Amino acid sequence: MTAYLVRRVLAIVPVMAVVVTVVFLLIHLIPGDPVSVMLGPDATPTQIQATRQALGLDRPLYEQLIRFYGRVLRGDLGQSYFLDRPVTTALLERAEPTLVLMLAALLIAVAIGVPSGIVAAAHRGSIWDRGLMLGSLLGVCIPGFWLSLNFIYLFAVRLGWLPAAGYASLLIDPVAALRYMVLPAVSLGFNQSALIARISRSCMLDVLQQDYIRTAQAKGLSERSVTYVHAFRNALVPVVTVIGVTTAVLIGGAVVTEIVFNIPGLGRLIISAILRRDYPVVQGVVLVTAAAYVLINLVVDVLYAFIDPRIHYD
Amino acid sequence: MTPTGWFRSALIGLIAVTMLAAGAASAADTPRKGGILRVGNLGEPPSLDAHWTTASITETLTNHIYEGLYSLDSNKRPIPMLAQGYTVSRDGRTYTFKLRQGIKFHNGKEMTSEDVVASLNRWGKQSNYGKSLFAQVAELKALDKYTVEMKLKEKSAIVLISLAVPNNFGAIYPKEIAEKFPPETKVTEYIGTGPYKLAEWKPDQYIRMVRFDDYKSRNEKPNGYGGGKTAYLDEIRWVPVPEVATRVAQVETGELDFADDLNLDAYDRLKRNPNARPIISKPYYWLVAVFNKKEGLMTNQKLRQAWQAALDIEPIMKNVAGGKSEFYRMDSSLAPVEITAWHTKMAGLPWNEHNKDKARRLLKESGYQGEPIRFMTTQEYKWMYDFALLTKQQLEDVGFKIDLQVVDWATLVKRRNNSKEYDAFTTGMGAFYDPTHHIYLTSNWPGWTNDEDILSLQSELARETDPKRRTALWEKQTRQFYEKVPVIRYGDLFGLRAARTTVKGFDEGNERIRFYNVWLDK
Repeated sequence: MTAYLVRRVLAIVPVMAVVVTVVFLLIHLIPGDPVSVMLGPDATPTQIQATRQALGLDRPLYEQLIRFYGRVLRGDLGQSYFLDRPVTTALLERAEPTLVLMLAALLIAVAIGVPSGIVAAAHRGSIWDRGLMLGSLLGVCIPGFWLSLNFIYLFAVRLGWLPAAGYASLLIDPVAALRYMVLPAVSLGFNQSALIARISRSCMLDVLQQDYIRTAQAKGLSERSVTYVHAFRNALVPVVTVIGVTTAVLIGGAVVTEIVFNIPGLGRLIISAILRRDYPVVQGVVLVTAAAYVLINLVVDVLYAFIDPRIHYD
Repeated sequence: MTPTGWFRSALIGLIAVTMLAAGAASAADTPRKGGILRVGNLGEPPSLDAHWTTASITETLTNHIYEGLYSLDSNKRPIPMLAQGYTVSRDGRTYTFKLRQGIKFHNGKEMTSEDVVASLNRWGKQSNYGKSLFAQVAELKALDKYTVEMKLKEKSAIVLISLAVPNNFGAIYPKEIAEKFPPETKVTEYIGTGPYKLAEWKPDQYIRMVRFDDYKSRNEKPNGYGGGKTAYLDEIRWVPVPEVATRVAQVETGELDFADDLNLDAYDRLKRNPNARPIISKPYYWLVAVFNKKEGLMTNQKLRQAWQAALDIEPIMKNVAGGKSEFYRMDSSLAPVEITAWHTKMAGLPWNEHNKDKARRLLKESGYQGEPIRFMTTQEYKWMYDFALLTKQQLEDVGFKIDLQVVDWATLVKRRNNSKEYDAFTTGMGAFYDPTHHIYLTSNWPGWTNDEDILSLQSELARETDPKRRTALWEKQTRQFYEKVPVIRYGDLFGLRAARTTVKGFDEGNERIRFYNVWLDK
């Protein structure tokens, strides 16, 4: 296992190198210019040129890329053009909101998705099955922004139960943090729960048709024990994969949710950075997100071995 | 109780209730100190260096932190702010500014002529307005601690107005800061003389400004952007809320006290809310299609005239304003009604003609062969996309072929600097406070108005100091504009903002929001 882990961690390096290069080229090759946005709509071409020179944006692309590699190797992701701070600082500032939202939404998604999938599979064809799968279909179909805006209108504007938008740090004011997090976590979690529910159901159905389940039933084990103890654990491997993918998606930034609920996280950061062509920030967020994807995949692979003893990595 | 006694009691009761109500109303109308005003705006400023960018969000924020020598009154004319006043030599080439004494910067240092000279020199190298003024300046020097002298190369009409414009303005920084940051590098230490000082800037979360206790207000009453300024609020918290529907909801719930840049469709909803009030902001922008006059199809004046003749502007404006007449104005003047000094009422201008025959005739005379005209717009500002789309339809009705290129704003502002990449683009023109500030009449702004007659009139306007002769020149330039068509002037579009009813003292007559002299009644 240790050798496997070392191999996987080392494999991250070439993956990150490719990601960094592709993102650098993509963001620089699309049209648009950070300086024109920074200097405002009335800036003249002469002013724009002077500021481009000051930022080194007038240098050839390969030269900018080499400098970028040099900085990344020193652990320096550069300075944001707009935020007046290093990219690493900007990323750290946004890590907490994104992580809190991710964990809360993931918790809700799993809490809704996994039981729904199991119940639907255990009662295949019943009204429970149809009702829950209809719910998960809605979760897939309803656009996140629509659900979020309606949540705001209902729970904040009409009923006044919760704040419409904003963020408070869990470390500073946990109660306020919780109040701010309910609506975004539920709306995001509901959307994400749909896929988990559907995968859980289909995996459970596969497992429930296997011989050992029939044997367990023949032995006279209770339906509950067969479903939750014998079937569920074996259905868990694909479900963990989906949960892993969902986690990675949420780390990359629940862009729409963060914008609608005004949460200062990574998703909002990357959108504003792309719109303003804040190249160092875009590169920084993508780098962190890519690293998170790779690491989560690694964690998921390791979890397989714990869930299913038949899986070995030696 | 006798009928008379009953009547007397009722009358006394009524008077008491009326007096109580009046008392309550006057208490609400009496300014009071305290409170945090939470303002929702569109996003983050690219910088808080007033010299550095023309971005309107920077203008709004920095005008609370910094001040210039001059400001604008409610009629948009220059009035002194940090200057006590000025004298001008008989030949009109030497301006001497006396500074107010005892003005403190936020770092406790007193403002003197050295700070003014260093700041204006920096501003003159970076700001559009500063550059055009400093093109006429021979020397700027401190005569003593509170006196600054500006020597000009020639007589100029734009000295005071250039020092007074609120956008990309001549903010006075401490000398040490003005000299530490070269003009092309933005300032990152924010020290001014304004009624609020910067306390904290957490990008994407808030910008916190707190009252500057040593602020020395002018003695005059508040007047437009200038006059007396009182910081009643303990704190102004600017919260970037990128989603416009969320900004509206947060004003409704009371999480925000004020929200700017709202979609016009929120107007009716806000009107129905007893705790909030919609505010129509005017002037906002006049819509404009800017032609590339450096190269390509639109260098042909006849073709530009055909575009102008074909347009039926009212349906376009009505559509852009969501069908609400409160949000647009049909006006051919290049300066909006609110800028009384430069608003013109001239008959017979070829504006909003919607004359298809004339447009077809001009097209034919131009030699146009149906080549696609590249018209750039963006969906990031919905009103730009809407008017571009309707323009395309109207133009194609008379024989134009429009290649509508929809790009994001960052792409548009980059591409418009390259004359090879487009024929026309959409944008909005805010308020210009002097004829010489209309950027689309200059040769160094995208679109490149190189017409010698236009530029020569601009030079004359910059030199002519007699108000009557300037007005005549401006009217001449307006006629010239409609003949040469450097850009297309559509109608005036207004903006929407909203305030909680607890926000008092807000001056709705200003184009951009200001919160000095504003207090909270809660």
